[in-house]
Amino acid sequence: MADPLARRLGAAPPARHLAGSVLLGVAQSATVVVQAVLVATVIQRVLRAGATLNQIEPQLAGLGAAIAGRGFLGWAAEWLAQRSTTALSTALRRELVRRMLALGPSWLAGERAGELALSATTGVDAVGLYYGRYLPQLVVGALAPLGVLAWVGTTDWISLLILIGMVAAVPPTMVVFGRRAADATARQWRRLSSLSARLLELIQGLPTLRAFGRVDYGRREVAEATDSLRRATVRTLRVALLSSLSLELLAGLGTGLVAMVLGLRLLDGRLTLSVALAVLLVSPEVFLPLRRAAAEFHASAEGRTAGRRVAAVLAVDAVPKPTGVGTLPDPRRAALFLDAVTVSYPDRSTPALAPLTLRVEPGQRVGLVGPSGSGKSSALGAVAGLVPLTSGRVLLGEVDLATVEAEQRHRLFSWVPQRPHLFATTLGENIRLGDPDADEEAVARALVAAGLDELVSRLPRGLDTEVGERGTTLSSGERHRVAIARAILHDGPIVLLDEPGGPLDPADRRALTQSLAGWLEGRTVIVAAHHLDLVPDLDEVVDLGASALAVTSP
Amino acid sequence: MSTRTGRTLRRLVAVSPPPWGRLTGAIVLAVAASAASVGLMAGSGALVDKAATRPGLGAIAGLLAAVEVVAFLRAPLRYAERLVAHDAGLRALTRWRVWLFDRLEPLLPAPLQRWRSGDLARRLIADVDSLQDLYLRGLGPLVAAVVAGVAAVVVEGVLVPGAAALLGVCLLVAMLGAPAVAWSGRQSEEDRAAAGALSADLVDLVHGAAELVAFGRSADQLERIEQRAARLARAARRRSRALGAAGALVGLCAGVATAGVLALGVHAVADRHLEPIMLAVLPLVSLGAFEVVPPLAAAVAGLSELQASGRRLLQLADQEPPVRDPEHPRSAPSGATEVTLDEVRLRYRPEHRPALDGVSLVLAPGSRTALVGPSGSGKTSVLHALLRFWPLESGCIELGGTPVDQLAQRSVRAQFATVVEDGHLFAGTIADNLRLARPDATDADIDTALGAAQLDDWVAELPLGLDTPVGEHGSRLSGGQRQRIALARALLADRPVLLLDEPGGGLDPPSADRLLTDVLAAAAERTVLVISHHLGGTEMFDTVAELSAGRLVSLRPGAR
Repeated sequence: MADPLARRLGAAPPARHLAGSVLLGVAQSATVVVQAVLVATVIQRVLRAGATLNQIEPQLAGLGAAIAGRGFLGWAAEWLAQRSTTALSTALRRELVRRMLALGPSWLAGERAGELALSATTGVDAVGLYYGRYLPQLVVGALAPLGVLAWVGTTDWISLLILIGMVAAVPPTMVVFGRRAADATARQWRRLSSLSARLLELIQGLPTLRAFGRVDYGRREVAEATDSLRRATVRTLRVALLSSLSLELLAGLGTGLVAMVLGLRLLDGRLTLSVALAVLLVSPEVFLPLRRAAAEFHASAEGRTAGRRVAAVLAVDAVPKPTGVGTLPDPRRAALFLDAVTVSYPDRSTPALAPLTLRVEPGQRVGLVGPSGSGKSSALGAVAGLVPLTSGRVLLGEVDLATVEAEQRHRLFSWVPQRPHLFATTLGENIRLGDPDADEEAVARALVAAGLDELVSRLPRGLDTEVGERGTTLSSGERHRVAIARAILHDGPIVLLDEPGGPLDPADRRALTQSLAGWLEGRTVIVAAHHLDLVPDLDEVVDLGASALAVTSP
Repeated sequence: MSTRTGRTLRRLVAVSPPPWGRLTGAIVLAVAASAASVGLMAGSGALVDKAATRPGLGAIAGLLAAVEVVAFLRAPLRYAERLVAHDAGLRALTRWRVWLFDRLEPLLPAPLQRWRSGDLARRLIADVDSLQDLYLRGLGPLVAAVVAGVAAVVVEGVLVPGAAALLGVCLLVAMLGAPAVAWSGRQSEEDRAAAGALSADLVDLVHGAAELVAFGRSADQLERIEQRAARLARAARRRSRALGAAGALVGLCAGVATAGVLALGVHAVADRHLEPIMLAVLPLVSLGAFEVVPPLAAAVAGLSELQASGRRLLQLADQEPPVRDPEHPRSAPSGATEVTLDEVRLRYRPEHRPALDGVSLVLAPGSRTALVGPSGSGKTSVLHALLRFWPLESGCIELGGTPVDQLAQRSVRAQFATVVEDGHLFAGTIADNLRLARPDATDADIDTALGAAQLDDWVAELPLGLDTPVGEHGSRLSGGQRQRIALARALLADRPVLLLDEPGGGLDPPSADRLLTDVLAAAAERTVLVISHHLGGTEMFDTVAELSAGRLVSLRPGAR
């Protein structure tokens, strides 16, 4: 199909799915014509020719078969629509998720996150529905009435003219009412989101209401907000349903008018009963596919919007993949070298990290200090390969890390982020993120070093405890310790610590410093922090705030 | 349908019974619209049959008029039915929502629980919203289908009794069979869990992308997402197969019934038991009767989602509140009373460290106490304990010598006027927010409170004065203005003890100090407890208590 959205998505259901759906839709309309002709024939023969039951048995059997056949064709159509909808949304989701990962963590971070997750769930489903159901229905809505009208034309051209007149009135009324409905629906969306905001506010304010003994106020507000939304919704529906009202009105009047004209012409004997009956029975079918397509109108608007969002993500150029030619030297011998590394983000005017040149010998401990915003986290992210470099290089020995396969590169680093993300699974799985194959002993050692052993022994289900969405059931200090345990299990020779000990109070920090000392021994460490107490014996401290290259000895 | 589904639905219906008046209206309109639909076809059929006997215009004039009337009426009837049905469905929501809000009330604030306020709000919005289908798409269509079916059988029965029997049996098979087949394809509990998990995995992928990349685990996450998606696709296929089969079953029944009633009609015409012109009415009424069945199957298929929403709501509503009122609460002490905390220990979850561990503190009437300590040291938990938001694990809090667990929660809270961190304001006007503390406050009371909070000049300059809207969460005001309004609100409440959680939080140090000075001046004779992670000076306090990791590490006199 020359559908611009499909072109941008690089995906549309296979043409044969669409063709199949359309064929089934048209076939369903055809069964109605068959039904009508058979009913008309039976009645004509009984009333005019006085036929007995035996003589019309084949027609009756055909009638039953046609009605039942319509049901079975519907089954097939449903099956096909479902198949193409799922196939498309699955493929699109796979593509989208791969692209998101290729674009990297720094692109995914920030305000887009929620919207992206929504695109990958309800978004791709809406696109699937658009192509799998709405579009075929629309084509059927255009083709099937034409087919039925063509058949009416071969039988009775006066009825054809009446029906064409009614069908011709459909597009203009749909344009007029459709636009008003779209406006009303958009207003309704705004109202819904303001109801959401209101209820969220009341939930968040519940402690305040309880403290003042005014829960009754909240209750009244909840009732009032729900009620006013109801009134607004019904007002909106009054407009939004006008288009289906007009469509049904045209369908009803069309049939009524056809019946009237047929009746009057029968009086003059200018028409046979069988023709009149058949045309009459077929006339509602001219409008039915149109009504079905109109009922899916909502799906079309949603699918288009979602499709544009998905297409926008797919259109972003991904970071080039590493060429994969470099072979890593032994990190215990080779120095890590940052060669004039800068980092800028497209949505910010000033660079996040001004040119930084830094040499870290194996086993050295380097601290990065500076006010927030001076680029400490960006520097660590650039070393770890999580943030794309705007310019400069990161070398291990003589090898540019950008040329190293991602998997090899990531094995080098044990990274502890400032705000670690916990996955909605068990505590154990969250820790094993560092090394899925780690044995229990290694996990136990990591728990002790990160100071998590006490928590785990208190939990009734231990490591099998679910931590909830983003680890909400844990405190920020516990989440931080999980991040440290991960890094320990990962066992990278170079340790990158972003604000370690941040959420802990002084006593806990001191304890953590001691329990980490053994693990840090012999590793290369780069630590970014306000307080450098967690990693003692720093060899060098770099102040990113003062100037890019100011190196002071501790 | 499982008994569990039945129980869930019964409980939901008990909370918000169907709005019978409107629902009946919607059902009557639905039946009328269906009747108009069948009547249009049956009437036109009869009209054409009769006209074919060439009886003259006068003889068909009545039928002609009737056909045109129903042709015109059908669409407006359908339109009115939809409006009334939606109104009925939405009306039921108010009660469910208020009921849930009441159930949530004793659960909040809920530190370190599995749900967050955003999730709770989503349930209060989306899950409650989906319940409207219980009456809109569930009960309404069910009754309408039965009424329309019975009507069709009666019409056939008047014409040809045998046809009525045949149609009745076929309709019954379709009406029972199609919903049963559709129900068999419903989402299982596991499928629904997979849907939630897929969405959680995608959120994890976006927010945890850095971790996945850094630890080389992206491929695993992709694999996991694919597996969940495949499972959901299988469930969707099952559902669609069942819906399709239900449709085919309806078609089969309709085919047998329609061909059958026509055959019986032909037989009756031959026996002169049926007027020939009524022959066309038989198959048309039968076809029309079966049109009410598919919505029934769809409603039953949708019932499983509805019941899932309902179960989630009931689960939330059935949560045990952390604090309950005693059966026979004692009467609260009146006037200025001493507040004592004795070896208070409080824990939010059994497996966590106590948030407060043996805290003892006395707030003498009229005294000024500062509670300081780093974040996470348990300062806010003191507030939760005092306001009875959370029970004590051990120890005791007394108000004028009465243990608080012997008092009603309301009367305990009536002792305190609280200013929470960043002073929570509600969308509405300044006056609305102030009156929240005391609905019967006079204008003079409000002026006094505004003056004490040093807001009177600012309010006087506002074009709308007290009627100025503050925006959601007070977003149209500055941090300092929000804090001062929250303070004026607390002063207006006129309670013996003033609890201030991080007054001046989010303000620069000089403004925060100014605010605190003004607060303490305005507090006059009241007892004051100020909670803060940072305190400019101690000269304004009688006592400065310091918390660390839930323990009181120092208690020293201030310089007041």
